[in-house]
Amino acid sequence: MSEHPLADEAFEPYEPRRPVPLPVYWMAIALALWGAVTLWNDSTAQSSGVGQRLAEAGDMTRRHSAAGADLFAQRCATCHQANGAGVAGAVPPLQGSRFLGANPQLVVQILLHGINGPIAVGGDRFDGHMPAFGSVLDDGQIARLVTHLRATWGNGGEVEAAFVKAQRQATRERHASWNGGADLVSLDPAVGPQPAFLSAPPAPSDSVAMALARGGKAGGWACSACHGAAGEGRSGVPRLAGLPADYIAQALLAFSTGTRPSDIMGPIARQLDGPERVGLGRLYATMASASRARPELDGDLARGATLALQGDDRRDVPSCFSCHGPSGFGVAPIVPAIAAQQPAYTAGRLAALGRHGKDDAGAAVMPSVAARLSDADRRAVADYLATLPPSPAIDTDTKDAR
Amino acid sequence: MTDPGHTATETESPRDQRKGRGLPHSIYALGGGLLLFALVMLVRDDILLRSGPPTPAAQDNGAIAFTPPPMSSIPNGPAGASIRHGMAIFENTGTEARAFVGNGLACRSCHLDAGRKADSAPMWAAWVSYPQYRAKNKKMNSMEDRLNGCFSYSMNGQDSPSGGPPPKGDPIYTDLEAYFHWLASNAPTGAKLKGAGFPKLKLSSLGYDRDRGRAVYAQHCASCHGDDGQGRRDLNGRQVFPPLWGANSYNWGAGMAQINNAAGFIKANMPLGAGNSLTDQQAWDAAAWIDSQERPKDPRQKGSVQDNAAAFHEGEKTFYGKTIDNHLLGTGTSPKPRL
Repeated sequence: MSEHPLADEAFEPYEPRRPVPLPVYWMAIALALWGAVTLWNDSTAQSSGVGQRLAEAGDMTRRHSAAGADLFAQRCATCHQANGAGVAGAVPPLQGSRFLGANPQLVVQILLHGINGPIAVGGDRFDGHMPAFGSVLDDGQIARLVTHLRATWGNGGEVEAAFVKAQRQATRERHASWNGGADLVSLDPAVGPQPAFLSAPPAPSDSVAMALARGGKAGGWACSACHGAAGEGRSGVPRLAGLPADYIAQALLAFSTGTRPSDIMGPIARQLDGPERVGLGRLYATMASASRARPELDGDLARGATLALQGDDRRDVPSCFSCHGPSGFGVAPIVPAIAAQQPAYTAGRLAALGRHGKDDAGAAVMPSVAARLSDADRRAVADYLATLPPSPAIDTDTKDAR
Repeated sequence: MTDPGHTATETESPRDQRKGRGLPHSIYALGGGLLLFALVMLVRDDILLRSGPPTPAAQDNGAIAFTPPPMSSIPNGPAGASIRHGMAIFENTGTEARAFVGNGLACRSCHLDAGRKADSAPMWAAWVSYPQYRAKNKKMNSMEDRLNGCFSYSMNGQDSPSGGPPPKGDPIYTDLEAYFHWLASNAPTGAKLKGAGFPKLKLSSLGYDRDRGRAVYAQHCASCHGDDGQGRRDLNGRQVFPPLWGANSYNWGAGMAQINNAAGFIKANMPLGAGNSLTDQQAWDAAAWIDSQERPKDPRQKGSVQDNAAAFHEGEKTFYGKTIDNHLLGTGTSPKPRL
């Protein structure tokens, strides 16, 4: 102690200089820039959204007919084509169609309930399967759409929302689609001679599948507990009604083997055997039920429509409909319907496919397409698809028999 | 004992250093930050958004990049109506040109994205390279001549209601040309554009092989085009995935019936949404499998298949006139009743 006296009584403790490492600055600055760019993007998106709404609200009359034209472009043109020419052998034309010249009640009823059966339009016969728009368009939208249709291809004249409301009320007990032209000619004989509707032989009811769907297996979950009694799904839980039977059976198999990992579906699917998977597939494929899907992710619907209808060539994203069918109704046996799907499920599924879909054997090209979609694009397309009418569920087996 | 200079440095240096280095330090910090930000953005754009190897067209030397105008910029008025109708013919050929289509294809079946997609023979690139001399018919071809060929071969006009392509001067040609002209807005005439035609693939010493192709087809193509190559229809009977062979597909005179063309198309564009994911070899082999199946006969055929092979298919990479499984390819299919 004494030989080592305190060298400096006046020592002032100080903090040695430890400069903040440069990489920390780099990251801080990069993050700040990122934040600034994100904020800027958001604010421009918001202001353009505000501008859009203002422009829409600007001129009531213009909005009225333009909204009908927009509805047509986004919900109808995929099948009937922008010029109303239809598709030879598959989709009836609107150009020169007697149905549009008939009583407006007829067009409203077709939109509300859809068509399921043979129909003659313009001298050609079509095996018509048109979706029901009653669950996805409100009275005002249907009124604007019908006004637009009649102005473009019919006899003109405005249809009011109140008229649609009365029509909806008059057929509120109806749950099935109109049985082709034979049913419609009874509403208005002006549509001309129509092919007879031969009712399909009733599909053999699969009591095993029905019991599984309603009651589950061995105390496990019933399908309907989450997917709904009519397979319509709910927020985050997919709609099953109208998906191709093979797609459902394959998805159940993929859940059970883990190639499509799911903590919820995995244990349930492992309880099922092959015939049960097939039975459930057929049960839901032939279930026609109204859409319960509504846009809920704040997606940009116009952007979603562009992606679904045209894709994005800048990002090498093909349009959804180039594979999922012209209106997102799916293409049997394995391409699923995406119309009227629950948006949270669609967006989540796209995100999962983009992240680790390469392991998902059944998903074909979706992983590489999904990986090129941004979060905003996933929400946009999911919300747009939720505005579409559900696929007209038909029993392909009995259809062939007919 | 005490060195005043020494103590001075000990106690004062941190402050002094900080003062002296402040400016360069902040420049390094700012520069590095900007660099990092730029780097992250680049990685995000290039790797996440553009996964997959660059398209072959991107390596072309001297070719000019071109982007067609957005659909929303089609003008109004009579010119716009013609352009729109041209686009409708291109997308919905079986309806809009019903009298002249003898199969289940449309223009857009091979010219993807309504004729806009690079490396799938985009129409903006075709428009600026016509009129053109073609060895196929040994004459200068106008765009109308070229389109007449499309209807004769790719659209199999011989089995259409009218029994052939649209007659010379038909408005179908005018409207299609109006659409192409608009797609090529501001493109330099006669210049080599990036992504024109289908990419040309080099053939390795392995050649092409239909049996290897069968396996590639089963793994990568069949889920959409079907094991039987007939494509798939939706519930209304509308063709969604085009038929690749048989009575409902392109005939033996079509460019796509040549294996090199089909291989280039497949490599760059198939499976849809995952272009350039197959190897060149896989593309050659899949093309060999598809183009070694029977399809409608060559409409130019007058005598035997062998005579026609000598007259029109000499030097082509084709199975036309070859015998596979005791069947002479080129014999043709009988036309299917149209739906």
